[in-house]
Order: sequence, then C-alpha cells, then structure tokens
Amino acid sequence: MPTISIKKKDLETLIGLQFSLNDLERHLQLVKGELKGYVAETDEMRVELSDSNRPDLWCCEGIARQIKGKLTGAWKDYEFFYSDGTNKIGQIVVSEDIRDIRPYVGGFAATGIPVDEEMLVQMIQTQEKISEVFGSKRRRISIGIYNLAKIKFPVYYKAVRPEDISFAPLGFDEKMNLQDIVERHPKGETYGEILRGMAKYPILIDSKDNVLSFPPIINSREVGEVKVGDTELFVEVTGIDIRLVLLILNVLAVNLHDRGANINIAEVLYPYETEFGKTICIPNDFTEPLPLPLKDIDKVIGEGIDIEEVITLLDSYGHWVKRAGDELQVTPPPYRDDIMHPVDLCEDIAISRGYSSFNPVMPSQMTVGVLSDAEVFADQIREYIIGSGFQEIISNILTSKEDVLYKMGLEQEKVVEVDNIMSQSYSALRQWLIPSLLRVETASSESFYPHKIFEMGEAAVSDETSNLASRTVIKCAAMMSHPAANFSEIHSILETLMYYLQMDYRLVPGEHPSFIGGRMGWIYTGKDVVGLIGEVHPKALTAWEIHMPCSAFEVDVDKLLEIYQANP
Amino acid sequence: MKGYFQVKTEDSGNIIDSLHPLELKILFVFQAGKTVDDNVLVTEASIEQSQKDMAIGWLLAKDVLSVDSEVVEKTVTLTETGERYADSKIPELRIFQSIKDNPGYSMADVKGRGDIEPTEISSAIGILKDKGIIRVVPGGKLEIGDESLLSEFEGVQRLVNAVKDKAEIRLSDLPENEQTVIEGLHRKRGKTKGVFRINEKVIRTYSLTELGGKIHPAVLQRGRPVDEISQLTPQMLKDGSWGGKSFRKYNITLPPPRITPGRKHPYKEFLDNVKYKLVAMGFEEMRGGLVENEFWNMDALYMPQFHPARDIHDVYYVKEPRLSKDIEDPFQVKVSETHQSGGETGSRGWKYLFDADKARRLMLRSQGTAVSARTLAGNPKIPGKYFSIARCFRYEQVDATHAQDFFQIEGIVLGEDINFRTLLGLLELFALEVAKAKEMEFFPAYFPFTEPSVELHVRHPRLGWMELGGAGIFRPEVTIPLGVNVPVIAWGLGLDRMAMVALDIHDIRDIFSADLDMIRTKRVQWV
Repeated sequence: MPTISIKKKDLETLIGLQFSLNDLERHLQLVKGELKGYVAETDEMRVELSDSNRPDLWCCEGIARQIKGKLTGAWKDYEFFYSDGTNKIGQIVVSEDIRDIRPYVGGFAATGIPVDEEMLVQMIQTQEKISEVFGSKRRRISIGIYNLAKIKFPVYYKAVRPEDISFAPLGFDEKMNLQDIVERHPKGETYGEILRGMAKYPILIDSKDNVLSFPPIINSREVGEVKVGDTELFVEVTGIDIRLVLLILNVLAVNLHDRGANINIAEVLYPYETEFGKTICIPNDFTEPLPLPLKDIDKVIGEGIDIEEVITLLDSYGHWVKRAGDELQVTPPPYRDDIMHPVDLCEDIAISRGYSSFNPVMPSQMTVGVLSDAEVFADQIREYIIGSGFQEIISNILTSKEDVLYKMGLEQEKVVEVDNIMSQSYSALRQWLIPSLLRVETASSESFYPHKIFEMGEAAVSDETSNLASRTVIKCAAMMSHPAANFSEIHSILETLMYYLQMDYRLVPGEHPSFIGGRMGWIYTGKDVVGLIGEVHPKALTAWEIHMPCSAFEVDVDKLLEIYQANP
Repeated sequence: MKGYFQVKTEDSGNIIDSLHPLELKILFVFQAGKTVDDNVLVTEASIEQSQKDMAIGWLLAKDVLSVDSEVVEKTVTLTETGERYADSKIPELRIFQSIKDNPGYSMADVKGRGDIEPTEISSAIGILKDKGIIRVVPGGKLEIGDESLLSEFEGVQRLVNAVKDKAEIRLSDLPENEQTVIEGLHRKRGKTKGVFRINEKVIRTYSLTELGGKIHPAVLQRGRPVDEISQLTPQMLKDGSWGGKSFRKYNITLPPPRITPGRKHPYKEFLDNVKYKLVAMGFEEMRGGLVENEFWNMDALYMPQFHPARDIHDVYYVKEPRLSKDIEDPFQVKVSETHQSGGETGSRGWKYLFDADKARRLMLRSQGTAVSARTLAGNPKIPGKYFSIARCFRYEQVDATHAQDFFQIEGIVLGEDINFRTLLGLLELFALEVAKAKEMEFFPAYFPFTEPSVELHVRHPRLGWMELGGAGIFRPEVTIPLGVNVPVIAWGLGLDRMAMVALDIHDIRDIFSADLDMIRTKRVQWV
C-alpha cells in the first residue's frame, strides 16, 4: 500500500499541535501508518499507510484529521455536504453516449485560498496515489484539477470519436486529436490501454468548447494546469463505479476544506438512472447509518465496554453516533466507505482506545496438534536418506522449461506455465526434482567430492482431468556425483530406502532422454510406476555444464504413501 | 598423514609426542655428537631393515636426523646353492667322505647317487682329481689321494656356514684369503651355480640435527619403547596379546580429515523446528496446492475482484488452461452474493457485479491464506487450530529481499471463545514460544480478510524489536459463506528475518542457494 512523503511542519500546522517524532510514531497507529523515515534537513517524513480501504488517510490532511480528532475532539462539520444550493458553482451535464465507456463523473469548486507550494505538492501526490493504487491505475477512477477561472459552466461530459476533437494536452504545445494523444503522449502510452477497443473516447468540455480534459488520460494545457498562486480550483473525478467517484470527491473536498478553502457544490445531471438518482449534488454524503448492538461489541472484543465509552471512542474517531437503548446507530464520515459490517466499527473502537489497553487472554479450548500423514511420511524418508549420507537441498519451485524440460532432453511434456512472465528464468513450475539437483551440481564443481544430495519437495504435475488442471505432488530425488558415480551405488540407496519402508519394488529397464540407454529404469511397486532411476545422460550433463558423472533417482512420495497405507 | 607432517619444527614437545615407536628405537642408538650408520642401526635398534628404512625416512623429513656421509659397501649372502651347501655340505666334501667310507666306491656309484646334481658331480670329481685328493684306478674305482689337501674345501665349507649364520657378512670384515675364496665362488664356475652373492649397497651415516639434539635428551629420558601398540587389532583382543603392553600416544591435537555428513538443509531444519513447535501448541497441519483459482486465493477471502493486489503486476497467472473447470457448490453462490450484497453475513457487501469467470482464473498461490480458506470450507474441527507452511508466489522483481517463491507460515484458530482479546493472547503465545520474547507490542493493521487486524512486534533476545507476524479475526464475510459460524482467527508469522539472522545470510535468494559448499558448511543457532 502507498508510502507518502509529508512535511512534519505541515502535519503539525494542520493538527494545530507540535510533536516529537516518537509521539508522532505512536499517533500514527490511529491511521495504521508506519514512519519509514524522517529527514531533518527537509523536514520530510515518509509514512506507509497500510489500509487499502481508507484512501482518505493517504495524505497529510487525512492523517492530520484523524490524529487531531482523537487528541482534541475537534471535528469539522463540513457543512458543504448539506448545502441548500446557494453556493452552487454550476452543472455537469452527462451524455447518454458515455454510459458504456466511463459512465460516472462528479466535480466541485474550491475557492478563497491561494495555492501554495506545499499544498500543490500534496495535492498532486494525493491525486497520484489515489488514482494509481485505489483507482487501479486510473481504470476505476481518475482525477482532474483545473483553474476554475478558465471554465464556463455548464461543463459537458460526453463521448466523441477520437479524430473529432483536438486540444493541446499538458506537456505539449501543439493541438492533438484524441487518437494522437493515446498514441504519442506519454500518458496516452501508459493509460491508453483503459480505452482499448472503444469507438469513442470520453471528453470534458465547457460551454465555450474549451476542453478541460480527456479522462482518464490527460488534462488540457490551457485549463488543466494549476499553478502556485491560483485561488480558485475545479476538481473533477470520472470513473466506472459511482460510489468510488463520490467517495474520492468527498475526500478531496474535505482535504481542501481542511486547508481553508470554501467548497462550492456542482450538480451532475445524468440522462440515465444511477444508484443515487439522476441528479446528484457534489460533494455528496452518501453514507448510511449502521446499527451496532452493544452485545456485538462484547462478542468481537471479548470484554464489555460501557456504552458511554463506546460512544466517546467512536465519536473521537470521526463517526456520528446516535443512541437508542442498547443499540447504537453509527454513521461513518462522508469520506469513508469502508464500514461494511459492525466488525469494522469494533476495530475502530479498539484502535480509538488503543490496542495496548486490552489484556491478552489465552484461547482455552483443547485441540490436538498433529502433522499430516504426508508430512510424517516425507520426514521418515528424509531421515533415511540423510542417514545414508546425503545433504538436503531446497530449491525454487518456480523455474523454467529450459531447466525442467530442454536441458533434460525432454520436449513434449506439459508443465504449468506462467501467463504474465516477468523473467524467463521464472516462467514454469517444476514437474520433477532432478533438475533442481543438477542446478546445485552446476554451481558446486569446486565443492569437496563426492556430492550426495537430495531434495524432498513439491512439484506441479499437469493433469487435464483435475479441476485445477494440475496436481501438487510431493516428490523426492537423490543424486550422487563424483568421478566414478554409477547406477549401482544410487540403486543401493533406493534399495535401502525401500527396505526400511517395507515396500517391494522392481526396476523395469526403460528409455528416458535424461538418462543413459541401458542404465535407466522405472521404479514399480505392483502395477504402479512410482519413480525412475538411472545414470544421467552426458547430453543432459553437458547442457547443465556439468563435468562430473551423476546418478540419480526420483520417487513420487504421495503415490508411495498411498500404496504404503493400502498395504498394512 | 597430511597433518602428520604439518607439525611445526619449533614445537619440540609436539614432535616427541608424534614420534612413532620405530623412530624412538632409532633415536635411542644415537649419542650426542656421534654418528651412526645403517648397519649399526639395524643391529643396535633391533628392528628390521625395512622398518629402519621407513623410520629413517620419517626422521629425515622431520629434520631430526641428517645424513653425514655415504659409502658403497659390499656384503656377502648365500645363493640358493649356497643355502643348500650350508645344509648338506659342499659336493667335494660329500664325495670325498663317501670314497673314504666305502672301499671300492666307483665312478658309477658316484653318478648313481641322487642327492647331488650331475653337473656338480662331474665338476667336483674333476677338481678333486686335479688337486690329487682322489685318484681313479683301473676298473673305475676311486681311491683317496693326498687327504691333507682337503683343508681348502673344509675352509670353503666353514665360510658357507659362517655366512649362513649371519645371513649377511660385510666383505671387508673377512680375512683377505677368504675374500679371495668368495670372489672365486661368487661367479659361475663351469656349469655349476655360484655359492656366494656379493651385494653392493649404500651405507649412510647419520647424526642428530640441531632439532634432533634438542629433543634427544627427552627421548632418552622417556625410556626405550618396548613393544608399543599402535593399532589395537581384533587378533590382539582375541589372543590377549595387548596385555602388559602400552599404547603409543597420539598427537590428538592434530586436525582430523574432513568428512561430509548427511544433513538436513539448515533452512528446512528451521522450518522443522517451527512445525514441531506449532504441533506442540496444538495446531494441526493443513496442505494445499501450488496452483489455485482466484476464487480460493482471493474471492473466498472477501478480497473484491477489483482489489489492487489482484493484478497481473502482483500475482502470477497460469498460461493454459486459463480457467479451472468449476467452483465447488455451494461456495460460488454464497461468496458471490456476499461480495455483491453481503449475503447472509450482515454486511452490506462490496456492491459490485461478481464475475464468475474471473473467479475461475488459474494462478500460482499467492498467499497461504488460500489453504486456510479451503480448510474452512472443508468442515473443520470446532474448536480447531490449524497451520500450514505453504510455498507462495508473487510477481515481484527478484532481489535481496524478494524471492520468486517463498514459504508462508500461517493458520487459523476456530472457537466460540475467539475474540480480539484471545487473538492478542494467541499472539502473546507466539511471541513467547517462537521468538522467546517477553516484550511485545500490538499495532493496528490491515488485511483484506480480517477485522480487527493486529500486527505483532516483539523484542527478540538477539535481534531487538522486530515484526513477528500479523493476525486478525476473519470477517464474517469470509467465514459464514464457507459454512463456519464461529469466530476464526487468521494468523501469519514472518520468520524469515529470524531465519536469515540464524543462517547468517543477507540475501533472501541464498535461502534456496545452489552453492553446495555454503549449504554444507552453514552453521546455525536456533535456540
């Protein structure tokens, strides 16, 4: 989750108190924040915020609001949410043709405050963090901020063919049409994917045909550039989920208001129905009261908390609480949409009181500890092989077809492959373990010989009949490597292992490209193949750049266990 | 053997301790300032020639003795023929005796006897005749001639017997006439074989070096080694011959030869310890698959399908096939209803349209909690405690702190008594038992599937303050759709930092290192 940079001084100004760094660190628990660093020269704090459902906290204003409320009890009223319409700045008119492209929009104006350097930096950071992380890289929501003075209301939100409209985007002097922007503008290259396959693109344009922006790609250079010293802003959010659009507008409005701005509402007119009707005032408090029975708190927390204390704790954490007997009606603040269930309020109560104020109680009910049969059996095999003088290895399971197939002389075998490959080295799950041991041998030619190594671990075996198209299997492979390594000595290890497991087995000579012909066998117990054994083929050794003879066996431990348990 | 010669020469005490009994026997023959040669050594030290050669070699290598001079010396030994003559006299004497004892003894009688080879007979008869010691008279009979001349052959016989007695005689120790006899008889004489063998060998003379001189008094002081046992053998134990003898002292401070034992991988050893500890705390192991669908990895955990961590830049998806066949009933319906509207959970839900195809998308398991989700859906025990140590995969740039696959240690606790305070109690137990930490602190945390959520920080006895794990109470949106109606703790332990410190590695990729030497030599301190 996001890490943001804020100035300690800015935070203290917003709270109205001064803090030592230690105290601040403690108060950051209120916002699930962790101080990652502080540079005294620049007064810059780096804070990591862990709650991905609280974008209101991903900014200096939000952190200040939560801490100030708890410490001083002073919460702002944010009266603009309940405006009678006298401060309305204008209308945003939505066209029917945007409905299947990016259907929701909202905006408001912030006036009466000169934009200073720090405010601008924080505004841009908030815009970026929210649209990148919370907005899924602008797909779900994106934010535009404009110089209000250059906009003539009403503003129109509509869809246009990419070639039909041109404007100069931020960062460019020339006018470009929307197709050009998607193809040539850096932001178009980054975010153009969101609009792929669409015949028309969204546009925000005012009554004088001045383009505000091409959401979610880029603002116009003329209207959409905010500078230090501007006193009036227009803030707009578009997206595909109306709750998110409204929520983020609310967050941005309270942030600006906390810095002293007046908020002027805008009215959005939809030609289609939305969850909140066809006409929506922005900012809009869409939160609803949630019933919170006292007994639910006791059950979740594990101790009875006095109802008055609960009210105080919720109140000082920013909620609006109404009492009705033993039940509370709690309304979250309009910049939060993360309260889905009473348990969410229970956590807020616990955070508001401080986790350290609760005494831990040991869970008292009796349970039996036990390992799975597979683990017990695997450990038994590990002990036997270690006792035979083998060093255990652990390897990565995510590897490559190069390693598990091609170097081994295999071509056709199906393995589980990764779709979104980051690196070819990590592009397929291993289906067997001998390649993992050869990887060790490749890297260890300088290590004292003989090498006797083994691995017990998971592999993914393709299986079209299974629901997930593969099965996870525990396998065990052992390998010997030294100038005279041969079949017979690795066979002795297998023989000894099977003796102690009390399992009859036989070797059936076979052909396998990883092994020398006539020196390879399938390991059978009854009718089942449970593994293979052989001297590794010089072609495979050469592919691994190994200059030492190797002999190895591998068994399917899950299958062995199945047979083991079927024959008491 | 290598360590044997690594002894430092200045350490005389060490040298004496390391001396073999044969070396001690040899040093006993020496006197300060005097030289001793090979021959003296064999006799005085009463050891065999080959033992002497071996021990001298060691002493020279250790710079205890040095070679003063070398001379070539001739010695006499008996040939096979000589050995025979020592046992039954030379042919000349035997034939003479037969003639003397048997009047009328004839040439035919001589040639008929089987105890002397024909060539020896004709040669001996010839010599005896030439010297006039015997005569052949008409009729082939043999008679004694000048008996006094026989003393020459008696002299040869004495010489043969003398060499036989000593096995080897220095040529220069014999009187000159005897030397002549020997030189005459060492060659082939006619068709007969030689009687004496003349050997040439290098005799070296040794003296104590400076180091030898230094340790010599201490060697003498220790006394003559008498039949020290170097290796106790089964035979000695059987026949009791070890009795009354002493055992040679070893230099037990020498480094032993290297061996490479069979051994657990040190990180696996760490995980084994964790697993046994969890079992001891009453946890039952659960297992899951490396490949999952998004439903069990995320949907069932109430992570909305638009959640930022559900992206191609966060998790690995499977190439082919893309989708699992189906999602088990009734979980698909219950979970999708919960996402959309809260279902039966008392939640208002995420309020979006659930995509059933996205739920089937196959991926590499990105969190161990997927195993917990399947356990919850599989009719778990109540009360119940479960854990898994699950390999997980994340789409991350691999570097010193990020691996492409890694182990997650986590689990669940189900029971009527589960609440925020018992959650803290469980974490306290982990702090005490897993990290041996008596100081701990609980921080508010965020996990998409738990509420309330806690982060556990502990003061580790060696590592100081560290984050040990995260936990919380599963949201009802997780448990109720999966058929569980009691509260459930979900917990996870982050033990890699502890493991890396114990293993003394600084790069997480080294946990799965392919460097056998590093794996073999890694030492760990777990407690």
